[in-house]
Amino acid sequence: MEKFRTKVKQRIAISSGMALVTVVLGAFSIYSINISDISTATHSDGFVAGFQFGLIISIFGFSVFDIIKLSLAINDETKLKILYNKEHDERLKTIRSKAGMPIIAITSVLMIIAAIIAGYFNIVVFYTLVIAVAAQLSVSAMVKLYCMKTM
Amino acid sequence: MKTRIKELRKERKLSQEELALAVGTTRQTITSIEVGKYTASLVLAYKIAHYFGLTIEEVFDFSDENEF
Repeated sequence: MEKFRTKVKQRIAISSGMALVTVVLGAFSIYSINISDISTATHSDGFVAGFQFGLIISIFGFSVFDIIKLSLAINDETKLKILYNKEHDERLKTIRSKAGMPIIAITSVLMIIAAIIAGYFNIVVFYTLVIAVAAQLSVSAMVKLYCMKTM
Repeated sequence: MKTRIKELRKERKLSQEELALAVGTTRQTITSIEVGKYTASLVLAYKIAHYFGLTIEEVFDFSDENEF
C-alpha cells in the first residue's frame, strides 16, 4: 500500500502541475482574445479560440477535482484502499479494455492536439478531427455503459 | 454461475462493501458475482473462499459450467 501511496502523491504533483500550466495558458488565451483584431476575425477564428479556452478550463477543472479526490484519499486509509481496489479491480479492468481504454484516450488526446494545430491552417480539418474524437469517445462510453449493465 | 457468497455474508453479518474491501475488489463486483452476471477469476474466487475459511467448491457452484 505504501507503493500506491507514493504513486498517489506523484499523481497529485502531476495534477498540480497541470492546473498551474492551464492557469498560465488560460491567462494567455484571454490576453490573446483581448488583443486580437475583432474587425478581421472570422466566425471560425472565434470557434477555434473558444474551443481552446474551453479545453483549458476543462483540463483545469479535472486537475483540481483530481487533486481534491487524491488528497482526501491519501489522508484516509480506507479511502486509499477503496481507490486501490477500484483501480485494480478485475471486472473494471475487463470493462475498460472492452471499451478500448487506454488506446481510445491516447488517440483522442493526439487527435485533439492535431485538431488545434490544424485549426490555424484549415478549419475543415479541425471540425473533422473534433467530430471524430467526439464520435470515438461516445462509442467508448456507450460500450462501457453497456458492459457495466451486463457484467 | 451460482454462488453462496450472499448466504455466507448474511451469516457473518457482512456488507458487500466490507467483503469487497477485505478481498481487494469493489462493491459492484461483489454484487455482479452474487447475481451471477460476472464470473470471478480464479484468484478472486480463491480470495473470497479463503476469507470465509472455505474451499472454492464450497462457495462457487460449477455444475452449470459443465454444460456444453
